[in-house]
Amino acid sequence: MSLLRVDNVSKHFGNLIAVDDISMTVEPGELRAVIGPNGAGKTTFFNMISGFLTPSSGHIVFDGEDITSLLPARRVWRGIARTFQITEVFPELTVRENMRIAVESASGFRLRLWQSREDDGEVRARVIDLLKMSGLTEKADRLVGELAHGDQRATEIMMALALKPRLLLLDEPTAGMGDQETYDITQLIRKLHRDQKLTIVLIEHDMRVVFHLADRIMVLAEGKMLAEGTPQEIAANEAVQAAYLGKAAA
Amino acid sequence: MSNQVNARKLIALACIWAVLLLVPYWMPPLGGYTALGTRVLVLGLAAMSVNFLLGFTGVLSFGHAAYFGLGAYGAGLSLKFLAPSTSISLLMGMLLGGLAGALLGTLIVRRRGVYFAMVTIAFGQVFYYIAFQWSSLTGGDDGLRGFSRQPLDFGLFSIDILSNTNNFYYFVLFCFALVVAVMGFILRSPFGRTMLAIRENERRARFLGIPVERHIWIAFTLSCFFMGFAGALYALLNNFADPKGLHFSQSGDFVMMAVMGGMRSFWGPLLGAAVFVILQDYLSSITVNWMSFVGLLFVIVVLFFPRGLLGVVRRKLVS
Amino acid sequence: MLQLLLFNVTNGLIIGAFYVLMALGLSLILNLSNVINFAHGGFLVVGGYIAYTITPYVGFWGALLIAPPLTAAIGLLVERVLIRPLYGRDPLYSLLLTFGLAFIFEDGTRFIWGAQGKPVTVPAFLAQPLSNEFFFITGYRLFMVATVAVAVTLLFVLLRYTRLGIRIRAGTLDLETVSALGVNVGLLRSLNFAAGIYLAGLSGVLAAGQLGLEPTMGAGLLMPSFIAIIVGGIGSLTGTLLGGLLIGVASGITAVFLPAASEAIMYVLMAVVLLIRPRGLLGEEGMMT
Repeated sequence: MSLLRVDNVSKHFGNLIAVDDISMTVEPGELRAVIGPNGAGKTTFFNMISGFLTPSSGHIVFDGEDITSLLPARRVWRGIARTFQITEVFPELTVRENMRIAVESASGFRLRLWQSREDDGEVRARVIDLLKMSGLTEKADRLVGELAHGDQRATEIMMALALKPRLLLLDEPTAGMGDQETYDITQLIRKLHRDQKLTIVLIEHDMRVVFHLADRIMVLAEGKMLAEGTPQEIAANEAVQAAYLGKAAA
Repeated sequence: MSNQVNARKLIALACIWAVLLLVPYWMPPLGGYTALGTRVLVLGLAAMSVNFLLGFTGVLSFGHAAYFGLGAYGAGLSLKFLAPSTSISLLMGMLLGGLAGALLGTLIVRRRGVYFAMVTIAFGQVFYYIAFQWSSLTGGDDGLRGFSRQPLDFGLFSIDILSNTNNFYYFVLFCFALVVAVMGFILRSPFGRTMLAIRENERRARFLGIPVERHIWIAFTLSCFFMGFAGALYALLNNFADPKGLHFSQSGDFVMMAVMGGMRSFWGPLLGAAVFVILQDYLSSITVNWMSFVGLLFVIVVLFFPRGLLGVVRRKLVS
Repeated sequence: MLQLLLFNVTNGLIIGAFYVLMALGLSLILNLSNVINFAHGGFLVVGGYIAYTITPYVGFWGALLIAPPLTAAIGLLVERVLIRPLYGRDPLYSLLLTFGLAFIFEDGTRFIWGAQGKPVTVPAFLAQPLSNEFFFITGYRLFMVATVAVAVTLLFVLLRYTRLGIRIRAGTLDLETVSALGVNVGLLRSLNFAAGIYLAGLSGVLAAGQLGLEPTMGAGLLMPSFIAIIVGGIGSLTGTLLGGLLIGVASGITAVFLPAASEAIMYVLMAVVLLIRPRGLLGEEGMMT
């Protein structure tokens, strides 16, 4: 059974149709990329999966359950985690505290007004793991707001990962990064996908990253689905080339 | 490095408690009086309760005096009509403030920023209005009189806190320590960290699976319970409760104490309360227009010391 | 009985119109600059006292014309010097600042004009009741409602059809984009603030003729204005208009049946509206349509 199924989803803002009748299925363990020119509706599409927006029509089914109008927090509890195009972290807290909050939220400690030693130890160990995985151990006690963009992004991804998601949504993980940072983040995503068998859907502008990572690619243009297939198929697709090159030519 | 920070924190903490414990000994020689210290503790506790929400959840309630005043009336009415017991009166005051907050909290948690402030002011005024109008119960504008704090009865012996100001100071300090400990404990708990998370980035918090509205409601309610407790102490301090204690200008004073002391720090509001109380005490003794000086103080703090006194001190320490 | 009801409904409408004027000014400033202007009542009082001071020289009509822009000028000064540095900071600060200002205004007016209430004489023909049957409708009350109606209409026309108004409305929705389009946001905020204070000044002059003047009157009028905004829906000027009239009429009607609750009804109304429609009557959906 597919992990995520999107059935004929549309989103209207007044007269504007941002997403027009898009369907998609994502299998467990898959890494799916969503690409398309600016204004293609990628982020809107993403926002409907994560619960930031509710579709105007259509359904979203996660692991057999209809989640179309579920609140964001409840989607997180069911195993959907996301990052944002503009990095969203807790800037005035340290990297360690950022991750700790995520770990505690995932372990259901959210509402605890107390904390036992054993639980605390468990959380600590998990935070240390996450720090190691992201290579941020040395910067653990610095405020996230003071870190370089790439490190902030890595923190955000690790926070999403701390939720032990079954589906990870990454909105332009390399946006605004230099070559080295882009490479590092790409390696991190690749590691998560390969080693942890994590199912990932990502939006990305950088085609090198997309073709390097994705199992399958979906192309959106002006709110509609233009094409879907393996990287090779997409690269060979004339409609896609027309959409991209046409934009470039115009 | 973190050991050094911890050591510094412990020393600061020890200093704070030493200063508080010795108030009856150093305050009178400096020209103050112990009751002023008691007042600082009570209002400081209220300011810390406001800051529990403002500084650590990032939610600005500008109507918190309502829960403070409800606490005062709860305690006063309990002493007057229910039972001549100081501890029961504290409990009733806290319950009245906290439950009212829990109820109204459900109506306001969806609002944010200035809108949250505005709705909290308006709802706070509801209680001011009730206290003002319902004179048969509350004494209306004249305030609630005819009660006084009772000796603490421990069976074998009892402690007089009515006429002995030092005893009363230590009683208030004990209560203060209790509530402050609970506050500190909550802030260090996983729930406390979700409060910080909401303050720092609500969107991120939501997408970490934190049900933001529910957590704001809980933080709001907790802070109203603390507020009610502080209000109950205030009624005991004055043996009196009046509608002014619920008015939004009182809320403004509390927020001011928190901001002036430093709202990102746990102890800042207590310092702010001390400065505020002493200044008010001094100003009102030398001029009838002291309100405009308090107003001026607001303007000056906002324009020049937005980080508060502790914020300034910390910066100096860092640089 | 019917006459009593009519009396109180009319009264409520008149008071409501007054709340509207005050609340619209607050709302303008709140919507664009995110500032809850606690000193709004203070500006109202200053407007009233300016009118009181100049009436002997320029007459009531002259005061009605001159006092509001003078108040707006003071408002502009306050905005430029004190509030401007706070934009972009936590809205808490501007709130505290205007809160402090309100104290200063109150004490200041008391210092200058004394704590005693001051009467402002209105032209004799306005002070007459309309007729014996409608003794409660004095010409002045009608005049007040008419003035409010004209001022509100002008405001809405200004916002809808002038460039400044369109920019203010756009800024309310998305200040960043407006700024990116090259509009001088600082100037926009100043003018908008001045417009809001102009309305406060106008309310002050009108109130002076009806209620007389006292330094503390501003604070008492602030809360109904808040409630008008909340009931109408934060962000919507039409909502504020509706909210003001609604609470005015509601308290007017309540005054007939349960006089003691005539003020409480505003709060009850607010709670009910928030329970049924958490955004208020016209909140946030259609901004100013």
